[in-house]
Amino acid sequence: MDIVVAIKQVPDTSEAVDVVEIDASGRDINKEALVSKINDWDEYALEEAVQLKQKLGGTVTAVTVGASEWDDILRRALAMGADRAIRIDEDAASMDSNTVAKILTAVIIHLPYDLVIFGAQSEDFGSGQLGCMVAEMLDIPHATLVVSLQMDEGEVRVSRELEGGALELYTLKLPALLTIQTGINRPRYVSFASIKKAREKELKVISLNELGLSRDALTPLVILEKLELTPTGKKAELISGSAEETAGKLAMILNDSGVI
Amino acid sequence: MALADYKYKDVIHRCFRCGYCKFPSNWMEVNNCPAYARFRLESYSTGGRLWLIRAWLNDEIEWTDHLAQIVYSCAACKNCVEQCPYRFHDDIVDMIIAARSEMVERGSIPSVVKEFLENIQRQGNPYGNARSKRGEWVEGMGIKQYEGQEYLYYVGCVGSYDTRAKETARTLGEVLLKAGVSFGVMGNDENCDGNEVSKLGEESLFQSLAEDNIQQFKDLGVEKIVALSPHSYNAIKNDYPMFNGSFEVFHYTQLLRDLIKGGRLDISSGFDARVTYHDPCFLGRWNKEYEAPRQVLNAIPGVELVEMERSREGALCCGGGGGNFYTDFLGGSEDSPARIRIREACATGASIVATACPNCMTMLEDAVKAEGLEESIKVKDISEIVAEACLAKRAD
Amino acid sequence: MAEILVVVEHRNENLADVSLEMLSKGRHLADHVSAELLAVIIGKDVNRYAPRLAQWADKVLAVKNDELEDSQAEPYQKTLAPIIKERKPKLVLIGHSSFGMDLAPALTVDVGAPLATDCTNIAVENGTITVTRAIYNGKVNAVYSFAPSETVIVTGRPGEFPVEEGQKGGSVEEIDYLLDEEFDYKSFEGYIEPEVSDIDITKSEVLIAVGRGIKDKGNIELAEELANALGGVLACSRPLVDYGWLPSGHQVGLSGKTVKPKLYIALGISGAFQHMVGMRGSKMIVAINRDAKAPIFADANYGIIDDILKVVPILTQRINDLKS
Repeated sequence: MDIVVAIKQVPDTSEAVDVVEIDASGRDINKEALVSKINDWDEYALEEAVQLKQKLGGTVTAVTVGASEWDDILRRALAMGADRAIRIDEDAASMDSNTVAKILTAVIIHLPYDLVIFGAQSEDFGSGQLGCMVAEMLDIPHATLVVSLQMDEGEVRVSRELEGGALELYTLKLPALLTIQTGINRPRYVSFASIKKAREKELKVISLNELGLSRDALTPLVILEKLELTPTGKKAELISGSAEETAGKLAMILNDSGVI
Repeated sequence: MALADYKYKDVIHRCFRCGYCKFPSNWMEVNNCPAYARFRLESYSTGGRLWLIRAWLNDEIEWTDHLAQIVYSCAACKNCVEQCPYRFHDDIVDMIIAARSEMVERGSIPSVVKEFLENIQRQGNPYGNARSKRGEWVEGMGIKQYEGQEYLYYVGCVGSYDTRAKETARTLGEVLLKAGVSFGVMGNDENCDGNEVSKLGEESLFQSLAEDNIQQFKDLGVEKIVALSPHSYNAIKNDYPMFNGSFEVFHYTQLLRDLIKGGRLDISSGFDARVTYHDPCFLGRWNKEYEAPRQVLNAIPGVELVEMERSREGALCCGGGGGNFYTDFLGGSEDSPARIRIREACATGASIVATACPNCMTMLEDAVKAEGLEESIKVKDISEIVAEACLAKRAD
Repeated sequence: MAEILVVVEHRNENLADVSLEMLSKGRHLADHVSAELLAVIIGKDVNRYAPRLAQWADKVLAVKNDELEDSQAEPYQKTLAPIIKERKPKLVLIGHSSFGMDLAPALTVDVGAPLATDCTNIAVENGTITVTRAIYNGKVNAVYSFAPSETVIVTGRPGEFPVEEGQKGGSVEEIDYLLDEEFDYKSFEGYIEPEVSDIDITKSEVLIAVGRGIKDKGNIELAEELANALGGVLACSRPLVDYGWLPSGHQVGLSGKTVKPKLYIALGISGAFQHMVGMRGSKMIVAINRDAKAPIFADANYGIIDDILKVVPILTQRINDLKS
């Protein structure tokens, strides 16, 4: 059973880090103070692929379109259990989903695959488009927001997440493409030792030219006009002070509002 | 790893469940193991935990979240090492850590431990706070970057980021400045010392942290290090040499003791208070340093030092070791070791419980609030008590 | 006459709320640029929805498909692609729902149109369409335009555009499903309804919701004690259900429950839109989070920027003190 997993690296802009600002070009955020990590959804996707491989045998290939720093996530994928990794050497940060989809399709089409797996969306842009677009370009069936899957002879049974917690069940004929929702599994911890050991595995870097593509010919369909920081915390009346003070004040507010 | 490959396979089964590991050295309580104190189940005492570990390595039981939580609930305080009657008693905490290493290799660890380790990998601290904020505590103090001064003042993650612990980092800095000590800090360049990483079983990450720190220290020409935290003190002093990093390492209470003795720190203004001292595990049982902090306190005029029922090698751990100040496996109950310890401190009649460790500081401060004892007892770091006695009253 | 096409989603004998939102927005845009609004709905007996859709749309295309009870991506794509290629609407609007996410990107490649998803604003000015998206955990807003194209496809964020009842009284056209081939590569097998848990958080007046900031399963007790002190019930954001720390019945948000309590205290919850969507209607929202830039502070009435593990135990105590 051959599985291809497409992953990406994102800057960590989650709760504990509050250093987000627009950079000098005005076209992206300043990433110097931010640390990079593997996209959360992709971690679940990789874990699912590796678990499938462990159960059914076969290979897992991790693929990404990105600059050399993105080797980090590929090493991580290899440490989790992927057999080999491929990076198309292009800075994907400024590309629209359609362009990245074309590039990924050009790579994946030459790989053996029964399943192609993506994370359902990314932490940075959250478009949720890539996997589904690649499926259409590869002309294979797809299901997005998959929360559980079961392999069978020549097909995969999946449940897709709907609003309100209901699930939609589908059977897809292989080869198929799935985009994975968080919570489908518990991604394993990747120890430092295993990342070092992963250096023994194959990490291939290829250029767009090798795929018969050129950056100029890949015109974006969606164009960034401008970026702005969203106004922060405007609505909430902030209670300040030490933990004792704020807790005390809040208790009074709740008391006054008749909740207690 | 099967049981056959486990380093301690020849001894792990030999625990015959005497239960000594739960007792302090004065035999007066049965809850001197912090995890056992919290849960009062044999699984959480060292003896019980080792039996479960053996069963797991021998494939008699499966890995579950619950098993992982039990294995990770040990605060590595070494009370059991102190008390166990067996020849191999020195190894029993290492046996637990070896089991954790196996869980780490398999990738099956509690999610909060995963977070802790991933945060350190990414940001150099377990909180996941930005590296660029690590040196913020120094603002406005006139403390210089380390550039060959006599001492490197190594702060550690808790002292750099935790709101309360940052105050102790600053206060110690002020005291060192007052004493005219030649020292510098690394600010944002400082990285985690790795002590907790090692106790959580992530050996390769620890090695990487140690090697990077050692290289950094060597490049800066560091010879002497004074550590705020006993955790840093422990790692740098005892573990870094195996990676070719040998430095003269002091815990700050040792330096203060010497400064006071040598007349370089004038504490004659004194500080009137009844104080009890809480031995931090990584200074006390791990490094047998019970006296320096007491010598500092006793030297201050007006300080009346009283001991808790359990002290020195029998002290009850605050429960903050093994990453627990973050992962918090032992919290959420009036039987949390920190809360038991605060009640014990109050029983001495002391108005202050003195700490010498930023982890103990945060654990005990939270416990005071949880117990509602803010009017009865305050938690103060030894540096803060010394500061009261030696620094002129500030204008604010 | 330019056309704006709205793809209408329906399930369980109901029109999806997000489709009504798209119709309302579509109506605004259509009026603004003097275009016609076309609503397309596909399935069994969908003509019964037509009068409602005609309140916004100038034209309703009710595509009869007896095999299709509820909206599904594949049949919709196969039906819509030829319609879009033939009619060349300037703008196609779809709700960014689970169905929308399964449909839009594939449809967009099929018809060769640009796509922007999960948009919080859509504008048409001088023939140019621009959209706004919230990126980087909601900390940045990005405005996009599109390469010149006959059709642009946009999916709108659920709950972002208000539903305004229309009075268009458009015309209805019914057509039969024009699929020329069966497909079996993606077969629908049914639904699994969400588990009915013994907890119904939608019935509680006070909800104490915990997010990732709670750090560990063991700390949930602290939130429970607060809930007890206030006579409320525990709720949570999605990650805690992903980790297995709380059953899914407690989850508030897009894939969980929608709640409207008198008091919603959000502990260690950043305020990702998927969560906000589920509790925005709460009368009083209090947020405690140590990240000053957490988006939740934009929607809360009161906020404390601090570590919940420090504040909550004290808060519980103060409340208990006030009660006695």
